[in-house]
Amino acid sequence: MRWSICILFVLFMSALDASVGSVFEIGGIRAQFLPATVVFICLSAPKRVTLRAAMCAGVAADLFAPTILSDGNTLVVIGPRVLGFALGALAVVPLRGLLYRQNPLSAPIATMLFSLLASLVFIAVWIVRSLLLDTSAPWWPSTGASELMLRLGAALGDGLMAIVVFWVLNKTRPLWGFANTTRVSPGAARQGL
Amino acid sequence: MNSKRLLHFIASKRFDWLLAGVALLLALLPVWTLKPWTNDLARIVIVPFVPVTHVGMALRDRIRPPHATWNPSAPETIALINELSYTKTLYEAARLESARLEGTIAALNAVSTRLGDARPDLIEASVVALDPSRVGGAIQVNAGERNGVVAGAAVFINGDLFAGVVSGDIGAFVSTVIPSLKMASIGSRLYPREGSDPRTPLANYPGAVLKPTGRGTWTAEVASAVDLRVGLFARVSDDRLPRAALGTIIGRVIAVEPIEQVPLARRIEVEPIMTLEDVSSVIICAQGASTP
Repeated sequence: MRWSICILFVLFMSALDASVGSVFEIGGIRAQFLPATVVFICLSAPKRVTLRAAMCAGVAADLFAPTILSDGNTLVVIGPRVLGFALGALAVVPLRGLLYRQNPLSAPIATMLFSLLASLVFIAVWIVRSLLLDTSAPWWPSTGASELMLRLGAALGDGLMAIVVFWVLNKTRPLWGFANTTRVSPGAARQGL
Repeated sequence: MNSKRLLHFIASKRFDWLLAGVALLLALLPVWTLKPWTNDLARIVIVPFVPVTHVGMALRDRIRPPHATWNPSAPETIALINELSYTKTLYEAARLESARLEGTIAALNAVSTRLGDARPDLIEASVVALDPSRVGGAIQVNAGERNGVVAGAAVFINGDLFAGVVSGDIGAFVSTVIPSLKMASIGSRLYPREGSDPRTPLANYPGAVLKPTGRGTWTAEVASAVDLRVGLFARVSDDRLPRAALGTIIGRVIAVEPIEQVPLARRIEVEPIMTLEDVSSVIICAQGASTP
């Protein structure tokens, strides 16, 4: 996998999420491009680099979403989404063998699972941070439970978005430089016996 | 030999866990350790992608045009409505200002004179990035320190809708705006849509401390003695905010309901006329909260 292309796509998708992404918002639930991009990498790249690519995407997501402090300043906290994306990737990578890539439902299901786990970790890390440092969570004045519900909806949205994102990213597959790891096993059928 | 071992370590699974550990550590570090570098790092990463976000915002405005409330059919109608609204705001600002200054006559002359001379710079800025996750709600605009933006400066939509304040995190050409819906509280007064009656004392218009509900609205408890009804406009009346924000519109009352535990008060809910997410450009008044 070409890391330069991976980083470029991750940042490009983050920039799209931060601008045109609000078009895909319904009732406070917003679907994003980035989770589907990370799942695309997790399903296509060599297994050993998927976790790092997901963490790299998590850093980009954290950098594009500053949190507001109680004193009126903003702060970029790098970590909550990095860990969330890492766990999401760890859950999606084992599914590679189970998911039939040509099935249009594979990408949405994997993306939903990824988003759900990433959100859970994001909320958990922020709750721990709030308890340890006695600060307010970024979803203030909403509660963690309501944020979780919103995130559940957002995971569904991300899943739907994955259909489009995968279609586009599949067109760019030659750029990514993914190694073709399909193995041809010898057998009776193949030998024409 | 050592470099070989290092490369082997970087390629190993242990390095992944080390990265995850660093991420966890960073996520739990206190503000003072992160602030000196993470915000700058974010700016360095975001700025090269501002053209992309600009195109994205233009595309967004095409697909989902800004709020219809301020987009009636004819352009001249828009101009007239804006003019009328702006004049009302100026009038309310002047009334609130004079009421505030009546306390001390000496201060009245001094501050009134100062206000007359000191016209803060107005900066038009484009919204270049929204919070993709909506959790924080902060937005980035393409005006920074070099354009004269200061921390605590009031941000307006269409000139007289109070939209938020500039946070302390200001870059050279980019700054972050905290939306009014994310501010802890905003002091306000409730007026009829057509504005206040000059013969009626200001005390007859109820004051309300608006607190965000988390559902995109504010709530406040207001004394029952005053006339409260749906459709009243909440205007800024808060000494903590820059003077320029005084009298500007925050939102309109959408619900008035009794409070069982406190019969002498009623709870109101106020929704914003327009939010920062609905627009592509804002006006920043280059006057901080501490500026007289």
